Amino acid sequence: MARMKFLCDAERCIECNGCVTACKNENEVPWGVNRRRVVTLNDGVVGAEKSISVACMHCSDAPCMAVCPVDCFYRTDDGVVLHDKDLCIGCGYCFYACPFGAPQFPQAGAFGLRGKMDKCTFCAGGPEADRSETEFHKYGRNRLAEGKLPACAEMCSTKALLGGDGDMIADIYRERVLRRGRGAEVWGWSTAYGLPPKPGAQPPQPQQPAAPTGGKS
Amino acid sequence: MIRLAFIVAAALALGACGEKEQVVVYKQGKYQGKPDTPPWKNESPVAELRGGKWTTGDEKSWEEAIKQRQLTQNEYKRIGQ
Amino acid sequence: MLLTRKATSAAAPQPRAFQPRLSRGLSGVFAATMDRRAFLKRSGVGVGGAAVASQLPFNIIARAEAKEEGGQLEVKRTVCTHCSVGCAIDAVVQNGVWVRQEPVFDSPLNLGAHCAKGASVREHGMTQDSHRLKYPMKLAGGKWQRISWDQAYDEISNKLLAIRKESGPDALFIVGSSKHNNEQSELLCKWARLWGTNNTDHQARICHSTTVSGLGQTWGYGAMTNSYNDEQNSKSLMFLGSNACEAHPVSMLHTLHAKENGCKVIVVDPRFTRTAAKADMYVRHRSGSDVAFLFGVLHQVFKNGWEDKEYIRNRVYGMDQVRDEVMKKWTPDKVTEVTGVPEDQVFAVAKTLAENRPGFIIWAMGQTQHTNANAIVRASNILMLALGNVGRSGGGCNVYRGHDNVQGATDIGPNPDTLPGYYPVAVPGSWTHWAKVWNVDLDWLKKRYASEALMAKPGMTVSRWIDGVLEKNDAIDQDPNLRAIIYWGHAPNSQTRGLEMLEAMKKLDLMVVIDPYPSASAAMFAKVRQDGAYLLPAATQFETEGSVTASNRSLQWREKVIDPLFESRSDQMIMYQLAGKLGFADQFIGKKDGRQVLRLVKGKGGMEEPSIEDVLRNEVNKGCWTIGYTGQSPERLQAHMRNMHVFDVKTTRARGGKDAKTGYDLTGDYFGLPWPCYGTAAIKHPGTPLLYDTHKHVMDGGHTFRALFGIEKDGINLLAEDGIASKGSDITTGYPQFDHVLLKKLGWWDELTEEEKKEAEGKTWANDLSGGIQRVSMKHGCSPFGNAKARAVVWNFPDPVPQHREPLYSPNPELVKKYPTHDDVKVFWRLPTLFKSVQDKAVKDEMYKKYPLILTSGRIVEYEGGGEETRSNPWLAELQQENYAEINPKTAADRSIRNGEYIWLSTPTGAKLKVKAKVTEGIGPDTVFVPFHFSGWWQGEDMLPYYPEGAAPIVRGEAINTATTYGYDRVTMMQESKTTLCQVAKA
Repeated sequence: MARMKFLCDAERCIECNGCVTACKNENEVPWGVNRRRVVTLNDGVVGAEKSISVACMHCSDAPCMAVCPVDCFYRTDDGVVLHDKDLCIGCGYCFYACPFGAPQFPQAGAFGLRGKMDKCTFCAGGPEADRSETEFHKYGRNRLAEGKLPACAEMCSTKALLGGDGDMIADIYRERVLRRGRGAEVWGWSTAYGLPPKPGAQPPQPQQPAAPTGGKS
Repeated sequence: MIRLAFIVAAALALGACGEKEQVVVYKQGKYQGKPDTPPWKNESPVAELRGGKWTTGDEKSWEEAIKQRQLTQNEYKRIGQ
Repeated sequence: MLLTRKATSAAAPQPRAFQPRLSRGLSGVFAATMDRRAFLKRSGVGVGGAAVASQLPFNIIARAEAKEEGGQLEVKRTVCTHCSVGCAIDAVVQNGVWVRQEPVFDSPLNLGAHCAKGASVREHGMTQDSHRLKYPMKLAGGKWQRISWDQAYDEISNKLLAIRKESGPDALFIVGSSKHNNEQSELLCKWARLWGTNNTDHQARICHSTTVSGLGQTWGYGAMTNSYNDEQNSKSLMFLGSNACEAHPVSMLHTLHAKENGCKVIVVDPRFTRTAAKADMYVRHRSGSDVAFLFGVLHQVFKNGWEDKEYIRNRVYGMDQVRDEVMKKWTPDKVTEVTGVPEDQVFAVAKTLAENRPGFIIWAMGQTQHTNANAIVRASNILMLALGNVGRSGGGCNVYRGHDNVQGATDIGPNPDTLPGYYPVAVPGSWTHWAKVWNVDLDWLKKRYASEALMAKPGMTVSRWIDGVLEKNDAIDQDPNLRAIIYWGHAPNSQTRGLEMLEAMKKLDLMVVIDPYPSASAAMFAKVRQDGAYLLPAATQFETEGSVTASNRSLQWREKVIDPLFESRSDQMIMYQLAGKLGFADQFIGKKDGRQVLRLVKGKGGMEEPSIEDVLRNEVNKGCWTIGYTGQSPERLQAHMRNMHVFDVKTTRARGGKDAKTGYDLTGDYFGLPWPCYGTAAIKHPGTPLLYDTHKHVMDGGHTFRALFGIEKDGINLLAEDGIASKGSDITTGYPQFDHVLLKKLGWWDELTEEEKKEAEGKTWANDLSGGIQRVSMKHGCSPFGNAKARAVVWNFPDPVPQHREPLYSPNPELVKKYPTHDDVKVFWRLPTLFKSVQDKAVKDEMYKKYPLILTSGRIVEYEGGGEETRSNPWLAELQQENYAEINPKTAADRSIRNGEYIWLSTPTGAKLKVKAKVTEGIGPDTVFVPFHFSGWWQGEDMLPYYPEGAAPIVRGEAINTATTYGYDRVTMMQESKTTLCQVAKA
């Protein structure tokens, strides 16, 4: 079973915003709603500047799904997190819950009116007939139903943004890490949680986090 | 008279039985929206749309098509090193 | 802990009315950190609000509609219209409407990748809420009024003919376009000459004119020596004057792939750009001090004996003279004094380049837009020659050109000093040649000009047209001042001295803008005038077909995606129709003596226009022998576009393959048949992917240095040394350019066919219309243009050995004394051009005290060129809604400027621009950077009222060139936009 994921290789991301406009182009998202953004950290700082493209991460245990008062979220078999706009009440709790700021609302009006939540769909459309006009107007393009992958990942200028089956992404990224000779410490459990990378290892000691292997990322 | 009043009252009291709930009744952890068809249940698109090719309804062949497509994101494959 | 686990406490029955249970859902969630990044850092929703009200639905739910059955889907393969990387695009069209855009993974150049601009080109085909110029307009009573095409043509042609009668043809300046495809560019060059003037130019002047000149004079051709793809074969890449991440994003695919495989990336730049963030080594130097830096590196190379002595001896002339000067003049202390770079960094750069060969030096405007840029680019060449990097895979000078077809327009388009193919106007033979190809009577053509002298004199340049209007009449080198200008696909805010441009517009009799967008020209003109301007809507490059030359010299063929939208017409149709009104329609299509060079085909609305394929086949392929635009026939190019998958990415060569449609065998061709593709299409030259590469046979893409400069100089042999020739060459020593005399001497004359002999008699390789001389010389493995040495010393330039000269507006008067600029020139490209007097006055007026910061400008990835086209695309416009100035934290703190607030930026011209401050460490404390893509504000005033209704760009801002100063290159009249002075203050 394919498990769809995104990975943005920060060594290659140059903040060209190709992913951003590819998404806008493909899904005809209105002004003010940005399903995908590129963030540059440490702008101008020699040796520390990194850019990374962020959109909905289609979490396995999605906080947006957990908090939604009307349960309009669902996950497809491929792991794509989608929602039903007909049910959405625009309360904005998913926006509070998401650590990536993925839920977007089309308009800020009087009394905090938000409109229906919109977010990256992994170019998988939504709960309308696949590849229909209705689905396009509500949710954007359904590229998965055409046998394609999200427009942002396919059009990335340096192939920094990888989108598709997680195993294949891992293969691609692994090859790059091997060629660079470094970067393995950037992602993974040991970086996120301080756990040792070996399987069957002991739970973490409370003194210090695992030292990063290799040089600067 | 009382019988009439009783029938009317009964009719009124039971009148709500046929009504459907108009607001979403939250059921913890259960998606309440419209059903969504998985992508592989669709037909492959026409050639002009430059998409993948798979057997309609066959999830494995759709996955194969997607993974084949994903190879384009790995420029090492195209550069053939 | 799963957030979605059922919470046992929440089992209470649900009330009928909806009540959110915050506590239940969020208790576990808020425990984790909610580290919110400045996610919307670069969005300013407020600014775009007015333009967007119609686009914001309260919810995005539309009424349910049945799946549209629509018409047949078609795919047209085209090429992005923005930069010179040349990313291919598959445009899906339904019922004549452009509905989808798909990446072309097969393309060997971009592999399906796009930047923000390429990923959003479909917007050009959208008609709803379009900001394009939709119909012809005329400025009357200070307002833009809609008129018909016929009325526009009548009025414009009457006015032009009246001006011609009163003042002669040189009173008109035609600003052509680097966005025209090759065929349109060549047609415009012809159009200007048929009108009778050399006063025509295009964006290359202010882009890479110094590169073309500097490289051409060094070794023969002024273009990128290799390709973006070839960087994958490099061991080192030095970006000196290029911000490829923002200007050529997709080229970074090749660069970063190379870096991943061990290539060292060095970036030398006054700013820590996105490109610098990807570098292994970053060096900060002062804007304009590039010659000093390059020679500082060269000094280290010579000092440590890292130069390639064998290569220099065999293939380079004059390196000894350069070496003497560099060792004496550019010692580390002097280098540090001028550039600000410490010796250890210069040494580290030199060592890296020397130890990692082959390598490229890569540049764009950072090297070219200076008063001594002709010297800067030559210093780059010399460094590469010294390291032996030129003429091999992975090494050389990778020049990143700007617009999508600036390379093609430079090669065959409207230049003031050359006819298509770089045939100089000053040489009578060029006119004979082209009159023949165009099938135009040479005497008639001569009479079109005001005089034969003016016909042979290079015209004015786009960087100086304003002086053509404003300068005193007896100071200019032609009879009339300029009275009329046609801005044909060119923006005004990319030229310096905007304040004076406004003054020039006040004095013009006529301005015509032919463009898909009104451009800032319309707004500027309407600001100061009540009438005298016309706007004609031209079609974009997606609404016509044609070939386009990428920076690596490959030609790609664009198919027409959609018909011209609204009332726009293709440029070739407008040229033909205007030619009709002005009296040279027949000559324009080469109709003479029963022959017609260009067929007329039906264009939009059934109106006639010249056939684009005929232009390529019958004019470009028949006439451009000098640069090898003769082998790229429409058939070969189209076969390439249909079969991109057969081309290898590292070498761009097709390993095999046969085109299904025509049966054309692609084996051996290089993608896009990069020029020079010598000879006729019949001899199937594969193109030349790497210039000057002697490792291959010439029929395999091999090449030599051009013998353009003579056979010997001062007793030293200028031709290549014995044993140095391209692989398989029958002549194994240096040889001059081929002509009929040389062929006869070698005994090869009889290998020509009878027909070829007839045509080739008395001709050279460059004007033999049969192509026989080229064919025979290449059969023997010889380059038609000779086999010579590259020149490190260009004796016909003002500085034979490149010199560092301070910019006209320099921050350091001491350095001005040591490295002064050139003397003033009384007549240069028909205009008096000042150098020393401007520099001395600036020092005398103490400009360096009043304006102590160096002002430099450049690109950002979201926009391109003058910016009106990209700033009218909502998907791009949303990303950068305001113009800004990058200021160092110290500079900002000294002036109490906070990040994100407005500032006034002032320059020695007296202009004051209102921009936002972006405080960043990326720029040094002595420099300020402003992107140049904006226009639509004039010194704080929004020019929206001056644009035609509904055709103003969504995002408007100050144009930095409103405030930039006087300064031009001593050889090409390139403007000095990269280095001037400014001061900033809180608004």
